[in-house]
Parts: sequence; C-alpha cells; structure tokens
Amino acid sequence: MAEPEFLLDSNIRLWVVLPIVFITFLVGVIRHYVSILLQSDKKLTLEQVSDSQVLIRSRILRENGKYIPKQSFLMRKFYFNNQEDGFFKNTKRKVVPPSPMTDPSMLTDMMKGNVTNVLPMILIGGWINWTFSGFVTTKVPFPLTLRFKPMLQQGIELLSLDASWVSSASWYFLNVFGLRSMYSLILGQDNGADQSRIMQEQMSGAAMAMPADTNKAFKAEWEALELTDHQWALENIEEELMSRELDLDGMFSKELPMGIF
Amino acid sequence: MRDKLRKWREDNHRNSEQIVDVGEELINEHASKLGDDIWIIYEQVMIAALDCSRDDLAWTCLQELKRQFPGSQRVKRLAGMRLEALEKYEDANKQYDSILQDDPTNTAARKRKISILKAQGKSAEAIRELNEYLEQFVGDQEAWHELSELYINEHDYGKAAFCLEELMMTNPHNHLYCEQYAEVKYTQGGLENLELSRKYFAQALKLNNRNMRALFGLYMSASHIAASPKVNATVKKANVKYATWATNQINRAYQVSYARKKFNNRLKLSENMVVVDVVSKPNTTKWTALSKVMINSKH
Repeated sequence: MAEPEFLLDSNIRLWVVLPIVFITFLVGVIRHYVSILLQSDKKLTLEQVSDSQVLIRSRILRENGKYIPKQSFLMRKFYFNNQEDGFFKNTKRKVVPPSPMTDPSMLTDMMKGNVTNVLPMILIGGWINWTFSGFVTTKVPFPLTLRFKPMLQQGIELLSLDASWVSSASWYFLNVFGLRSMYSLILGQDNGADQSRIMQEQMSGAAMAMPADTNKAFKAEWEALELTDHQWALENIEEELMSRELDLDGMFSKELPMGIF
Repeated sequence: MRDKLRKWREDNHRNSEQIVDVGEELINEHASKLGDDIWIIYEQVMIAALDCSRDDLAWTCLQELKRQFPGSQRVKRLAGMRLEALEKYEDANKQYDSILQDDPTNTAARKRKISILKAQGKSAEAIRELNEYLEQFVGDQEAWHELSELYINEHDYGKAAFCLEELMMTNPHNHLYCEQYAEVKYTQGGLENLELSRKYFAQALKLNNRNMRALFGLYMSASHIAASPKVNATVKKANVKYATWATNQINRAYQVSYARKKFNNRLKLSENMVVVDVVSKPNTTKWTALSKVMINSKH
C-alpha cells in the first residue's frame, strides 16, 4: 500500500529536530560533569589489593610458566595448590555481599546513579512532549505495525496515520541512545553520560558483587592451575638458535634501537 | 624544553644534573607559561635536586607544592624524601608511618621505608621488610628486582634466582632478565645450573641477537660443561659444538666492529681531503688467527 508522501514543513526541521538534538547532547554533557563532581572515592582495603595481585600472579604462572625451569614451576604450583597448606585451598575470605541494605556507600551510589541519569531523562522527556506536541517530527525508515502508534505518536490523534511517523518525544528518546557514540568521541571512553552502559551495570551489578567473588575466584584459579602442565619453551633452544647465523645488524652503532621489552 | 622533561619523566631517566639545570631555568623564567604542568615539573625537579644535593632548590619546590596541595599524600612522600636526603632517618620514618596510617595501601611510602633501611646499610632488615612487602603486593616488579639485587649482594643466589624467575614470567620478552638469571645460575655452579645457564643465555640471544654478554656467557658455560670431567661423550660433543658456534659469532661481531671503525676512520680522512674513498675489505685473516690463539690457550 503506497502511503502518501508527506512533505513536512521545513520549519519543523529547523525548530524541532535540531533543537532536540542539541538539548539532548547538552544535557548529556552536563550529566557527565555532574557525575564527576558527585563521584565518591573508592577505598580499597589492603586485602582486596593483595588478593587481586595474587590472582594476577597465578594467572601469569599459568600463561608464562613455560619460560622458567620445571623445578621452579612445580615449586610455585605446589605453593598454590597443595592439599594441606596451599594458598588457594586454605585462604577463606570473610565474604559480605554488599547489598544496598547493609552497605551504606552502595546505597548512596545507587541513589546518585538514579538521580543523575533517570530523573533528567524523565523530566526532559515530559517537557519536550509538552512543548513540541501536536505534530509529527520525523519518519522512521522502516515500517511499523499499528501497535506502536500510541507509543510513538503521543498527542497526535490521527487514526489513519502510518505508525512510521513519530512525534518529538520519540525523536528525543532516539537521540538519547543514538548520541552515545558521540559522547565517547568527545568525552572519552568512561563518561558519565553513557546511559545504556549505566543501565546495563545496574542490571548486572545488583547480581554481581566483586568482593564476594574472591572465594569463587580462588577456587576457579585452583582448578585452572591443577590442569596446567609445564611445557618448557627452552627445550631445544640451542638447536633453534644455532640453525642460523646471528643477525648482527646495527651492532656497535651510536644510536642503539630500543629493544621491545 | 618541557617536552624533554616529559620524555625524561616517562622514560625514568636519572640524569639529575640536566634535569636540575633545565628545570631551574624553566621554573624561574617561564613559570607563567607552563600552566598546570608546573606542579609535576616541581616534583621532577625536586627529586633531581635531592640527587644533586641542591637542598635550597628542593626546599622551594616543596614549599610551592605544599601550598598548592595541602593534604596530599604525594607531597608528604616528597617531604619524607627530603628528610631522607638530609639523613634525618627517624623523622622520615615518622612521616612515612603517618602516611601509612591514613592509607595502608600506599605502596610508595612502604618502599621509601625499605630504602631507608638500605641506605643505613641494614641489608638483612631491608631484605626482611621487602619480603613482607612482597607477600602483600605480589605484582610489584620493581620490588622483585630490588630484592634480587639485595640477595645477590648477600651471595644468596638461590633466592635471587627465584626473584628473577618471577620477573622472567611477567616479562617473557625482556632479554636482560634472562641474561641476569643465566649469570646467577652460572655463578651458583654445579652441572645442572651450568646447563640451565647455557639455555638461558641462548634464550637471551634468541630474544636479542646483539646481546654480546649473552654470547660470551654462552661460550663460557658451554666450554665449562665440555671441560668438566663428569659429563659423558655426547654431552661433551654437543657443548663443544655450541662453544665453537659461539666463537664464530663473536668473531663476526668483532669483524663488524672493526669494519665499522675502519669505515669511520676512512670517512674522517676523506672528509679532510674532500675525496670519498672506497672502503677496502678488512683484514680478516689476522683476526681469525688471533682468536684461534685465544681459544687454543683456554683448552
């Protein structure tokens, strides 16, 4: 069914589409700076720092253990995994899952997150809906079913209008998500205006709590380390080395090239 | 100018005299043009001034930093370093302890305390403290290297080897750690250690073909194993092969150096005469004969 091609007043483009883009963008930038101002310092305890480094060390042992002699590798593996007094077997950390009730700092963090992100979005969405109401703003390039009409055409009571024509409120929401990549271009990676990332964090963050995982992380490392074997990388190194002449280019020259460390 | 300072800062160069000269001039003349860079330049110049015993300059830098960042841990650490430089070790220790009370995870303060012990010559205590530090902060590579150095000074080569193994694991492509490990193993002596050291010299060479020390180390360890009475014939043969290969490479390296020197001399002469000469082939027979004499005298 060929729908009639509407020709929208170019004033709409000038006075509605572009202002909404600007508003969304500026609000995002302001949100970013406000979140920086309200950021609370994260104090790590000594134990957390130490545990994270131990996990890194064990991971490195698994990955690069082939560069040290077999004896040393076995010594370290024994230290970590021994049945009676291995580190991963024996160290149990007191685990307090930081739920919002018990941990006040988490609670305030969540509050701040909500205030800075969700609230402005609701407020401005409502204001835009009220100001720019009564006309279609733009057309989405793909066809939509009639179900989307009440959602996307707030304030336009035309039953025969195609659902692809949307109002300014939906254009606003489109912008909120679309400008995410613009934010990372302008504000750098970890910016506070990135709504979707924060929403993702909130959804998964409630379930995942980093400190509580220390015991599980230890157990996982223990298993992984049990499975690793020692394949000494230097087994046939002399043969490999002597199969060809050394490359002595640039030796004894004034400007020594920096080796890759 | 400040690009140079930044490069020195990032590469961790310790050319304190140059830093003091450049930095002092920058601070005195162009302070306004530096903007916010000036604080980190103050820190860099202060540490360099402590190295060169310029207490006056260090004091001024510290005052400026204290004024700008009154409660900062970093500035407190610099104040502690100044006390260390003046040999007021008790006061410096108190300063670092106060930093650690506020923030137990502050690694910089702990490391300064250990270096105080080292400066006072109490190496046994320094080793003990460093071990405790490393028990908690296992990932600190600087500290592992420092510990290996302390152990080497105490001639405890086994433990030094352990520290270097940690470093080798975290930096598998760094040929210098391999070479240092091989040297420690070589110093320990004994047949297995000599074999290990030969392998690690070879690894260092593989990572960097130009490492002359590793080449000589390879030659020494191979010839020692070959000369030892306990080995069987195959091992001996293999090691002799390794040793001769190493000598060939050493010869080649010296030829390269000789040719280059000759080339440089010729270039200088010809620059004076404004005539560019063609470099003749270096006199190889003389050098190989000389090195053959050297090797024959060893066996």
